[in-house]
Amino acid sequence: MADILGVVFRRFASGNVTSDVMFPSHVEGNTLLLLGDVNISRSVLFLAAVTAATDLGLKVLFFTQTPFQSLPVSLRASIPGLKLESLKNVKFVYVKSLEDLREDIASLHELASEAASPSSLIIVDSLDHYLHGSRVGPLQDDLSPVAHVAALLHDTAAFLTQILQSRADGQGLCRVMVSFQSEREGSRDSEALAPELLLSVLDRYLQVRCTLEEVKRDGEVGQNEWQVYLSVVCPSQVQQWHMVLQTGGALEFSPVIGGEQQILDQPDESKQENERCGDG
Amino acid sequence: MGSSLPSVAEQLLKDLQRTYLETKQIPDDLLIAKLRFVFGPCALQALDLVDQRSVTCVSSPSGRDAFQVLGGSGRLYTCFTSCHYCPCPAFSFSVLRRNESLMCKHLLAACLSQAMGLWQQEQVSDQQMTHILSGQTEAST
Repeated sequence: MADILGVVFRRFASGNVTSDVMFPSHVEGNTLLLLGDVNISRSVLFLAAVTAATDLGLKVLFFTQTPFQSLPVSLRASIPGLKLESLKNVKFVYVKSLEDLREDIASLHELASEAASPSSLIIVDSLDHYLHGSRVGPLQDDLSPVAHVAALLHDTAAFLTQILQSRADGQGLCRVMVSFQSEREGSRDSEALAPELLLSVLDRYLQVRCTLEEVKRDGEVGQNEWQVYLSVVCPSQVQQWHMVLQTGGALEFSPVIGGEQQILDQPDESKQENERCGDG
Repeated sequence: MGSSLPSVAEQLLKDLQRTYLETKQIPDDLLIAKLRFVFGPCALQALDLVDQRSVTCVSSPSGRDAFQVLGGSGRLYTCFTSCHYCPCPAFSFSVLRRNESLMCKHLLAACLSQAMGLWQQEQVSDQQMTHILSGQTEAST
């Protein structure tokens, strides 16, 4: 998945971009968690879908609760000359509930035997909305549903990768991209699971994290600027980009020079990370 | 962790697979001790499940397959060995919430069965596989 984001960042870069979004080859980077405000995340997902379909010729499945009626990003401003037929490789699936989402993902193998090539990119928009709608009560463990859908996505992508590779002389990869807003207004009630716990579960199954952090100037947001952090858990690596929403509606990316770094020691996170990576 | 275990656990499962391929015998005391050390108390319970042939690999015409483990309570759990998931309460509590264990006994049994090639085989339709994967199908004996 990091490879597709790399294409997106370079495609919509302001100026020439020489740094690549690359992670060590032994890191499985085909599943990605996108964290950020729901609107900007949705725009980035849409850009990733269109880029994958037009630039890379990939088939894309886009799961979302809400049909696209308007976007904060003008697609035509970001992709001048975009033709509607280029979007034929993007299939939008409007799914209302977590149960329907699980069933749709679980059914993707049924299409694998068809002549048409299976999807190479599966996108799930706002997974937190699906989880919020499915909560069954304060005494019910809420971690299993989120783990189930994330594991199902991972397992399905692994299966579709096998299909793609069997048809393309060992080439081909099915990627997963999931957006999640960890902090939602009014969601922190006494029954809600801590966002950190939900994220720790998602980190088990989605190995690359892309965080969109809105830039504040003088304590104010609304500058239409974000810092973009691409990170993997094991081994710890972070790449940093800068994203701006231009007046005309187009998104522009630029790499932060010196933005690649090892994650600094943070007592709680490093202990958890060491446990995951099996060190010590 | 992502979809991978700590390297010591991965290596142990590989050792188990190699040993079983060579000897066709259930792991010796040393290997069992290592399994207990790495995976905790559920290691013996998982080996019991394997011994009892409680692990079934269900396959469908599409080529998709999944492991189902019959637990002691009679409930059937569909486990994803590719990325380590089990729907049982013990996995949810000890692994996901508390991060105290690497696996539950059902998931470990599925992984051990996979390593040793010891599973029952069952064919289902593609539609049945969809129900199994989505968690809609659960049988009890």
